[in-house]
Amino acid sequence: MKDKNEQIDLLLERNTTEQLETVDWDRLNTAISGRLDQARQGTTSRLRFRTAFKIAAGLVAAAAVVFVIVAVRTDTPTGVQFENGGSAVVKFVESKGSASIQIQPIDAKSQVSIDIGGSRREVAKCDIEIIDVKEEQQKNGRRPAWIIIRMPEPALADNGTSRDEMDLMCLL
Amino acid sequence: MNDGQKANTSDIERLVKASQTGDRNAFDKLVRLYQRRVMHMAVRMLGNANEAAEVVQAGFVKAYLGIGKLRNPKRFEVWLLRIVANAAISRARAAKRRAEKVKAAGYYENKKTLSPVERASARELKEAIQQAMLKLSRKEAKAIALFGLKDLSHRQVSEIMGCSVEAARWHVFRARQKLKGLLKDHL
Repeated sequence: MKDKNEQIDLLLERNTTEQLETVDWDRLNTAISGRLDQARQGTTSRLRFRTAFKIAAGLVAAAAVVFVIVAVRTDTPTGVQFENGGSAVVKFVESKGSASIQIQPIDAKSQVSIDIGGSRREVAKCDIEIIDVKEEQQKNGRRPAWIIIRMPEPALADNGTSRDEMDLMCLL
Repeated sequence: MNDGQKANTSDIERLVKASQTGDRNAFDKLVRLYQRRVMHMAVRMLGNANEAAEVVQAGFVKAYLGIGKLRNPKRFEVWLLRIVANAAISRARAAKRRAEKVKAAGYYENKKTLSPVERASARELKEAIQQAMLKLSRKEAKAIALFGLKDLSHRQVSEIMGCSVEAARWHVFRARQKLKGLLKDHL
């Protein structure tokens, strides 16, 4: 039994020795070195990618903050300067939702788009009435004003509400 | 005597610590010190120097990338041998699953060494051992390969294998039993 075990060990060792004699050690060492270089470069690339990703994510976050600030500022009442035409976005004071008003000019019917909630949206021409509040002049020079939007009848019919309820008051 | 033994323990420890700080030259020295030893084990396990060379390269890369996690630099050899042994097992088993003959390009062979007759005989034995080793279990293949390494204690073998010394001996016994049958034409 022992002899057989020794024979197996000798056979394995003989094969190993013969195999190892054929190895070009310098070439193997060079190959290992090359693989290590690749591994290091790969690690460096991954680190660079992570850094670039973090920077990009930071930039996106910063851009998002700027966008929100701009959006808020845009959404903020910009004063009563309708004589020159243009558009304004107003927020409802008494009703939940928002409306965008295109004034073209002040004394004509203007296009009003109102988000009623959810995906419901009403667009119509309507009269607008601006009630300027000069006595409440603010420090930054802006003049706050009230705007009353009276929706036309067809829109009201679809909505199933009375005309009075659809008189919307907004602060510009 | 293998290259790993030429350097004393404190030198190895110093090189490992330097490698852990990112010193590539230190790791290159470790490669030169241990490449013959790990090749010896890999060839015993796979029966083929070309396959073993691929496994050794992959093993060193894994060791290089993971050396920062090695807590005790004194255990570098055991740790490295475990990495290479596992890589060898994975490669051999993957080839077995694909039912392919384990074969790699003869890139590392220095063909000047053997005569044609010797080479034919060696090739026959190599292929027989290669096929026989694939029929062993993972533990048996590891055990028989590691027990063939000089100056590696049974305790170290068991550490590399992740089992008790008795279990490692049992796996060697089982491996020899199987190989006797599988290689009877060469005995």
